[in-house]
Parts: sequence; C-alpha cells; structure tokens
Amino acid sequence: MPAHCSGSGMRSRSTYLRHAALTLISGVMLVPFYWVIKTAVTDENIYAYPPRLLPENPHLFNFVDVWYLIPFPRYLLNSLIVSALVVACNVVFNAMAGYALTKRFPGRQAILLVFLSCMLIPFQATIIPAYLITAKLGLLNSYLGLALPLLSTIVSIFVFKAAFEAIPPSLVDAARIDGLSEGRIIFRVLMPLSRAALATNVVLSFIWSWNAFLWPLIITREPSMQTLPLGLARFLSYLEDTTGALYAFAVMVLAPSIFVFLMAQKEFIRGLTSGATKG
Amino acid sequence: MMPAAGRVEAWRDDWWRRRRTRELALIACFLLPSATVFFLYRVLPLGWNVLLSLQYWSPLKPARWAGLDHYEEMLLHDDVFWQALQNTLIFIGVSPLAILLALGIALLVNSDLKGAAIYRSIIFLSYPLMTVAVGIIWRWMYDERGGIINFLLRESGVATKPIPFLQSFEWALPSVIVAEIWQVLGFYMIIILTGLQSIPPHLYEAAAIDGAPRWARFWRITLPMLKPSLFLCAVVGILNSLTSFDLVYIMTNGGPGHATELLITLIYKSGFGQTKFDYAAALTVVQFSLLLALTYLANRAFGGNAGALQR
Amino acid sequence: MTVQQALRNRWVIVPLAIAVILLAWNGYVALNDGGMVAGRVVDRNGRAVADATVILLERNFVTHNERQRTKSDASGHFRFSGNNNHSLQLEAEAAGLGRSERVVVRLWFRAQNIVLVEPLRFAGQLP
Repeated sequence: MPAHCSGSGMRSRSTYLRHAALTLISGVMLVPFYWVIKTAVTDENIYAYPPRLLPENPHLFNFVDVWYLIPFPRYLLNSLIVSALVVACNVVFNAMAGYALTKRFPGRQAILLVFLSCMLIPFQATIIPAYLITAKLGLLNSYLGLALPLLSTIVSIFVFKAAFEAIPPSLVDAARIDGLSEGRIIFRVLMPLSRAALATNVVLSFIWSWNAFLWPLIITREPSMQTLPLGLARFLSYLEDTTGALYAFAVMVLAPSIFVFLMAQKEFIRGLTSGATKG
Repeated sequence: MMPAAGRVEAWRDDWWRRRRTRELALIACFLLPSATVFFLYRVLPLGWNVLLSLQYWSPLKPARWAGLDHYEEMLLHDDVFWQALQNTLIFIGVSPLAILLALGIALLVNSDLKGAAIYRSIIFLSYPLMTVAVGIIWRWMYDERGGIINFLLRESGVATKPIPFLQSFEWALPSVIVAEIWQVLGFYMIIILTGLQSIPPHLYEAAAIDGAPRWARFWRITLPMLKPSLFLCAVVGILNSLTSFDLVYIMTNGGPGHATELLITLIYKSGFGQTKFDYAAALTVVQFSLLLALTYLANRAFGGNAGALQR
Repeated sequence: MTVQQALRNRWVIVPLAIAVILLAWNGYVALNDGGMVAGRVVDRNGRAVADATVILLERNFVTHNERQRTKSDASGHFRFSGNNNHSLQLEAEAAGLGRSERVVVRLWFRAQNIVLVEPLRFAGQLP
C-alpha cells in the first residue's frame, strides 16, 4: 500500500475521511438487516404508513409462531441432511481427486484442462438435462438427488491439490514405507496438515448446499422433502398477514448462514479467492 | 532361456510395471467419484442440451427431429425471448458500475486503517446469505406502505406519493438490480482486495522515489496489476445474470408483464412450467453461447490470458 | 491436538456450547410442559369475581377457536389444564358484568405452564 508521503496533519484528515466514507457504506449495507429484524419483532400492523423506525413493543413470539405454524423443523431437518451429505462427500471426493492430481500420470494435463473447463459451465446452464438425468436415475424427490450435483466442486479440488503439494514429499514417502495404503495416507497424514483447505472445503460446500434454491425447486415433488429456501418461498403468500411472521421466518433462515460466516470468514474468503465462480 | 542377470532384470521390470499399473488404477479410482459427478452434471448436460434443442421431445412421445425449428420460433416469433435477452444484457451491463464501486471500497479498506477488518466483514456479510431471504427482505424494503425506501423518499421530499417499485414497468428491473448489487458488492470487494494485496510494495516505493504523483501510481501500477481480479469480477458479473434467478423469482417472478424476465427465468418457466423441455434446451444453448461470447470479449478487453500479466 | 488445545479451538467450543444450550432448553421444556394455564378474574375495582365462566381460545393460523371453559372459584382464581397450543386468548363472562376484555397469551413453547401476572379485568364492577 503506497505510504502517505505527507505530514501528520494531512494523514489524520484523510484517515478521518476514510472512516467516514466506510462508515457510511457499512451503514447502507446494514440497513436491510436492521429493517427485517425490526419487522420480525413487531406485532402491530406492519403495513401502516408511516412505518416506525424503531419497533414498538418488540417481542420474540413471532419466532415461536413460525416454529409451530410452518413445518420449520421439517425444512430445517431436510436442509441439514442434504448439507451434511454434501459436505461429507465433498471432503472425501475432493481430497481423493486433489491427491490424485498431485501425481504424475499420462493424461494429467488433459484431465486438468477438462476439470478447469467444467468450471466454466454454470449450474443454471444444465438444469434441463440435469433434471432428466436425475429422473432417469430414479432420484427425484430424494435426499441423494438433492445433493448429487453438489457432491464435488472443482474449486475445492484445486484447493486440496495446492495444500497437498505444499506438504514435503518425505512425509508421504515415510508413510508409504510404513505400509499405509494410499487412502490412509490421505486421511491420516495429509489431511491433518491441510486443515485450512479442509475448513475452506467444508464452509464453501455447506454454504452452497444450504442456500441452493433452483435445484431443490426443480427436484422436489412433495412439501415434506422441501428445504429451507423452498419453505421460505412457499410461505411467501401464506404468511403474508399484517404481522411480521414472514420476516421472522427470514431471520430464522438467515441466522445459520450469518453464524457460519462469522465463525469461518477466513476459510470462506480464502476458498473464494482461490477459485472464482459459484458452483 | 535367458541368462541369470537378464532373468532378474525382467522380473524387476515386471514388478515395477505392475506397481505402476496399480498406482494408475488407484489414481483412476480416486478421480472417479468427482469425475462422475462432473460428467453427469456438467459435460453430459451440455451435449444433451444441444441435442434436445434440435428435437421435438416430450416425456411421453418419442423424439422427432426438429432441426432449427425451435431456434426459428425463438428468434422470429417469441417477443418474450427478446425482452428477456434485453433484460439479461442490461443486468450484465450494470456490473462494471458495481465493480467500480467495489474498487473504490477496496481501495478505502486496503489501508492500515484501524478496524478495516470490521468494515470488510460488514460489507462482505451480504454475500453468503440465502438469496431467497435477501429477495424477501428487499421486496419488503420496496413495499409501498411499510417499506423503508418509500418512507425515506417521501420524508426527504424526493417523492410525493409512494412508488410501486416492483409493480411498475420502469422501476422493476432497476430495483432487482440494486438488490443484486447489494448482495454481490462484498464479493467483488474481496476479489479486488486480494489482488491489491498481492501487488509488491516495492513497485510503489520505486515510483515514489521517481517522483510519480499518486494518480499516476494508481493508473500505471495498481490498475494494470489488478487486471486478473477485475476480469474475475467481470466473469462473476456475467454469471450473476444466471444466479439471480432466486431474486427475480421471489421479488417479481418476471413481472410486471415481462419487465424483469431474465433468460434463466424464461428457461425455468418454459421447461418446468410449460414442460416444453426442448424449447427450454434451445434457450439454454442460446444463453450459454451468449455467456461464452461475453466472457471471450471480457478476456480480450483485459488483454487476453484471463488478464494475467506477461512477464 | 491435546484436549486443552481442543477446548480453545472455536470449532469445538461453539458446537459444544450450542449442544449444551439445546439440551438445557429441551430439559426446561420437558419440565414445564404440563399445559396448565392459571389466573385470576377481577372486576373494575380489583375485587375477585367468583363463579365467572372463563373461556380458553386456541389459535389456529389466523382464527381463534374456543377450546375449554371453566369457572372461577370463590377467590376468583381459575385453572385450565391440557392446553396444547402456544398462542391463546382468554375471556371471561359473568352474570351482570357481561364480558371481560380478551387477553392474548403467547407462550414460548407448546403447553407451557403459565400463571398470568395480570388478572382478567371486567369493565363493570360488582354490586
């Protein structure tokens, strides 16, 4: 970063301006959060004009309503199962593929190229055939079907590959001499040393599977198999009475994402910057 | 009968070959699960889309060859397609503005400012959120009665009566675009920040010693070295016209009329609403070609090679 | 990683804390879900109204349906049991006093035991 080549007077003024600008921008970015939380804790007619800037008589009972009146626990369970499946398979498959790509074998360049070009194919460009394929596999409306397109991601494979390549080969050779099989080598030797890559993988795949909307929309046939984003969309009109129940639902849905983000910021950002596009 | 030394060598070669084959088999096994997923859900669909777009296909009847009939119908008779195409291009066309804004924010945050990390977290917070929930929040913010945007506009005197943002033909698309920019701004900022932090500082020091003014340092050093990051942001901006399906579905569902219809929502409606899978496949082919063309143009604009510098 | 190191790692502490909180909450719920709703009925001046009919209404999405009735005892106290809902309304009727105000009762979980702090008030007063 270029050093400020000026006296201390100018430095503090420009620093003050920076802070002011950043505070303004941060405030604007936070307005939607505040507005939805404020609506979620009010009970009076939320469509009255002028809307109150501060909630009057705030209470948390809207959240209780959402829990019981909507099958929120069911949606939560579905989302958790699908995400758990996606994260577990992602870690295993991506580690395996990343490890395989660290070795030299004929056709390695070609395979790398193919994987990289798969990154250029966005998920939305595949929805029609993906639906037909999943239907042919008989996996419509099932947890596996919901998870299948997300079971492996190229960004994460390259993150693992880079992490594995940074490990001194002497460790791997020592393990091999000790008689460990290749699978064990990955999971006993390489993984503990690539904790950052593992965390990145877990966080990225969790967030992508948790937030996925278009694919579950296409795949699920019954309301009992719907995930949280679908439940939220479905009750858009259902809960739109004059209370903030719908927005309490939105807050409950956003809380896990924000929580995971706050816990795993570094890993998430690292994963994004080492690879690019979503899915 | 081979001499003794030759026999040992042959045995050694054989053993090595077998071990190598085992290793290759293992590599293939390790690559198999990921490769299967990618084949099934990336490569195969690409080809199948093209095939489907050239057929008359329905789930119940056998497929018939259609040639370019779907494309003809799309390009010549379907007004909604052209509207959706226009909307998608507008969507993509606004992203340079957002990238510029993110560049400014990144420059502000990339100093040894106290609390820069907090600002970064706050601005990036919008990105990992569920887009459906973001759509609901913004829909509520744009509401004519209870929404904060109308409230602020009327209180400040800019507007005299409530503006039905999401129900009006002129304001619907810009409203959705604003929501999309709010969500993706943090992502652009992070990409650019990473690029900024990888610029070696000695370049700036050398320029400062040479007496180059600040704007010249920015123009000649910062911007060119940011080209890979800016290219990445451009690609994300192009792809956002696809991932914004969630936002459009929740906020306007393509309406009013088709004012906010994007190509991706049209594909969804044709394929899963009207079950015209073949027509939807043709739309997908057109959209994917558009994306590839735009990415290629962006690549050229940033100097080729995904913006990376030639050393 | 030693146990001490593990305990300071946020990936261990936070899930543990969440698990503990969830367990504690479920325990509290299990101990307090008897479905009892109790309170008092008074007139405008605060005098207890005996033998008033108290009606318990249960929320069903956007309407409230009558579910149980009981009578207040000599000191104006009443008690319901077997409530299975999280959102209720209570109303009282008494001869000569008409109907009392309708009070909304919102609970934290279904069948939570609750003793109302504020009594049900009639607009009129006892002779």
